[in-house]
Amino acid sequence: MSTENLTSRVFNDMDPALLSFIKKYVTSFVKWDLLHFFHQNPHTIDTVENIARYAGRAPDTVQRELAQLARSGLLESSQMGEMVIYALTSSPQIQTNLAQFVAASQDKQFRIRATYHVIRDMCRH
Amino acid sequence: MIEKSQDPSPASLPLAQRVPTGIPGLDEMLHGGFLSQTANLIEGAPGCGKTTLGMQFIRYGALHGEPGIILTFEQFPAQYYRDAASFGWDFRALERAGVLQVIMSSPEVSKADLESFNGKIEDLVARIGAKRILIDSLTHFERISQDPMKLRSLVYGFLNSLKRAGLTAILTRESATLLGDEVGPTGSANFSFMTDSYIMLRYVEIESAIQRAIIALKMRGSAHDTYIRQFEINSTGFHVQEPFAGREGLMSGTPQQMTRSFIKAFINR
Repeated sequence: MSTENLTSRVFNDMDPALLSFIKKYVTSFVKWDLLHFFHQNPHTIDTVENIARYAGRAPDTVQRELAQLARSGLLESSQMGEMVIYALTSSPQIQTNLAQFVAASQDKQFRIRATYHVIRDMCRH
Repeated sequence: MIEKSQDPSPASLPLAQRVPTGIPGLDEMLHGGFLSQTANLIEGAPGCGKTTLGMQFIRYGALHGEPGIILTFEQFPAQYYRDAASFGWDFRALERAGVLQVIMSSPEVSKADLESFNGKIEDLVARIGAKRILIDSLTHFERISQDPMKLRSLVYGFLNSLKRAGLTAILTRESATLLGDEVGPTGSANFSFMTDSYIMLRYVEIESAIQRAIIALKMRGSAHDTYIRQFEINSTGFHVQEPFAGREGLMSGTPQQMTRSFIKAFINR
């Protein structure tokens, strides 16, 4: 099977709304973890350093990913004195989409397909 | 001229100005509950029930028209949902009903947020109409600064911002010792004089068994029960019971029967 056919098969089986969510927000595995973290702790309001600590990731890596998630609208960032604070967006639509992504992630087949997309996106960039 | 009889004694403040905890026995100790828009410190050894007391206070409010917020430093919200569920309290359902919110943050961010214009916590307070807050725990403020003066200023600022937001707060703090008198390192933080009330939870050893004791050491603007009482945490939560009878030295963690100490003091001299 050609790569193109495999890609087509992987994505044709996926819910278009979820596919769109993945393409927009889940462009790395660090973001994947952060999305799960914010879904489980939706009222987190904290700095890069603390979020990195909670998520068990390096602050430098998390800083870049949080900034990208804020630019894409999934997170809200604000400056408080010298601190940059991140919180999950208050948009009910995005929160619903996030909940659907996390729920779908419980399924192994979905995870395989989503992982394929994340790797492809990471290779592209 | 105000006649003496018109000046209400603190203990007789109308219940409307009180914020009942809903904890059996504790409201009686506090003559009806905490005073509205005050900061109330609950201090005790690890695992003795500080968070349970605070969660019960928040839940009671949520079920009685006073929505609440749990502000946690370090501990994940999932832990609160699990702990609450062990008492049969569905905190997720209360969140869905818009009468409770569990927020995870850090002391420095919370303080900055509450002191900023249109901060996220203040926004949440307004959105759910929060009247109560549990801060779990104040101990985490101690890592912001080693300088006692700076720490005091930070905590004062934080407590004032809670009051400005119209919240009645319970703040937990872990004490360093399991039993006996607090022996903290020199210069360790003492927040009790900054808060409006100070309740201490203690483990006490009585006849080779560990029991739990509660005492209200301070309640600014109100009279309160001064007995050292037993309390238990069972499947329905925190319950304050009768005072320890015939014991003394409870705060040392190893009380003795009064007759024994009488003999020790007056006969075996």
